[in-house]
Amino acid sequence: MRAAVVDVRGLRVDLDDRPVLHGVDLKVVEGEVVTLLGANGSGKSTLVRTTVGLVPAAAGEVRLFGTPLKSFRDWWRIGYVPQRTTAAAGVPATVREVVAAGRLARRSLFRPARKADREAVDHAIELVGLADQAGRSVANLSGGQQQRVLIARAAASEPDLLVLDEPNAGVDHRSQEAFARALRTFVASGRTVLLVLHDMGPLAPLVDRGVVLDSGRVVHDGPLPTPSMTLTGPPDHHDDHREDYGAGLFG
Amino acid sequence: MSFLDYDFMQRALIAAVLTGLAAPAVGTYLVQRRLALMGDGLGHVALTGVAVGLLTGWAPVWTSVAVAVLGALAIDVVRAKGRASADVALAMLFYGGIAGGVLITGLAGSTAATLNTYLFGSITTVSADDLWVVAVLAVVVIALAVGLAPQLFAVCQDEEFARVSGLPVRLYSMLIAVMAAVTVTVAMRTVGLLLVSALMVVPVATSQQLTRSFRTTFGLALALGVVPSVAGVVFSYYVDVAPGASIVVASLVGFVLAWPVGSLLRRRRAAAVNGEDPRVTGAHVPAEQHPHQHDPACGHPAVEHGDHTDYLHDGHLHAAHGRHYDEH
Repeated sequence: MRAAVVDVRGLRVDLDDRPVLHGVDLKVVEGEVVTLLGANGSGKSTLVRTTVGLVPAAAGEVRLFGTPLKSFRDWWRIGYVPQRTTAAAGVPATVREVVAAGRLARRSLFRPARKADREAVDHAIELVGLADQAGRSVANLSGGQQQRVLIARAAASEPDLLVLDEPNAGVDHRSQEAFARALRTFVASGRTVLLVLHDMGPLAPLVDRGVVLDSGRVVHDGPLPTPSMTLTGPPDHHDDHREDYGAGLFG
Repeated sequence: MSFLDYDFMQRALIAAVLTGLAAPAVGTYLVQRRLALMGDGLGHVALTGVAVGLLTGWAPVWTSVAVAVLGALAIDVVRAKGRASADVALAMLFYGGIAGGVLITGLAGSTAATLNTYLFGSITTVSADDLWVVAVLAVVVIALAVGLAPQLFAVCQDEEFARVSGLPVRLYSMLIAVMAAVTVTVAMRTVGLLLVSALMVVPVATSQQLTRSFRTTFGLALALGVVPSVAGVVFSYYVDVAPGASIVVASLVGFVLAWPVGSLLRRRRAAAVNGEDPRVTGAHVPAEQHPHQHDPACGHPAVEHGDHTDYLHDGHLHAAHGRHYDEH
């Protein structure tokens, strides 16, 4: 039997004293591609954020690669893509600089980057198809390209598990396809993916299993639900992410 | 006789160079983190520290470091809690710093003129002892800002990602706050507590008009911090004004000069991005003047795009549309 990469048991999470997850179980084994689905506010984002240690659990247990979250230290094994609309911050940074930040989990203090580090960064940038943009400022890229920068950053530590929080939100079709290609390459090497999705898009053929959350409980766990089940109802709204280009100070 | 023949001017110039390097070094991280006003608040808080020094007779350099560091840690804790009322709490801390400073200075029997030398700098007041403290602190701040650049960059770019990378984010966050507090004290004698934040922020803002990478923004900001600092101190030698004012005005002049260049660069880059937008929006964007017809033999790489063929031309895609080409 393949080893459990993510093992969540009886997880309860409260945000601002409001219960968001009520006793959730989630298991992802080596080489699996699992997607979390559910309407806005169903708790799917909270579940992945708790899994990577960004949100404290009120009760229950989270294990990563068999180690309880509290004593987990091998952070390079996890490539995390947070839910973002921009890869830019208050100061300009190139694609390469942002992606290189993903390599820090493998680097030690006060040591310059080694050849292996630089190659891993190059490779991650190629993986998402941005090699010709590596020297450009991330703030000048389209929303989809910025999302791909974040995925490359997660891939730069050569992780065994990719955790992606809505990587397709507000992303143009071309970037979605580039992302699907990158994910296919990643999965082909036997590694594991846990992702939160709003809609499947071109990723559907890659996904092994879907876990559907509703109001903080798992209501479906198994082969992909049919499209009518992917949301607990018709979409109530669409987020408009077009205005989200990160502009630096004074523009 | 040149101004360099005076000991006090030599000390003031050395302090100016160190301040001009340290302030933008920390400032780059503060701006990246969108905490540009933190230096301002710390300057307010440090004033209370100076007043404590005046009251007790201890060196104001040390008392202001101590109080500013405490203030910085308090700010960082409030920020990390992330409560909605955090900005109000910070505002009260800042006002408390100024009011406490003026109040305690009054109790110490010092005059407003003494206070002014700390608020806006004073080239004649940098003692040899002060200079040593300033030099050691500035060198430590600059060494940390450069040596820990990869880690500090990651934390300031995306705190959550840095945490999942296993970086001790709280520790780095506090380190940045403490570095900012120390820099405030370093800068106190040249640019002054009320204007120190300008020297942290303006060189960075000027620098990023011209740059696209973090590394060059950082390096250029340091240069853009030193030049106005030295120029401002020299100006204050000839014209009797507080050096803080002349340093900040010189720094702002730099920004005003860089702005048109920056907006030109931005327009160019925006044009490059717009060349790509039609793929997303499906908008109809005719290409500019076109000297030849694209075909498989024209030398421009052909790209299959859905139901038609685009030609890669100077970094954007051209698609035949009637008698002209569209940007795809």
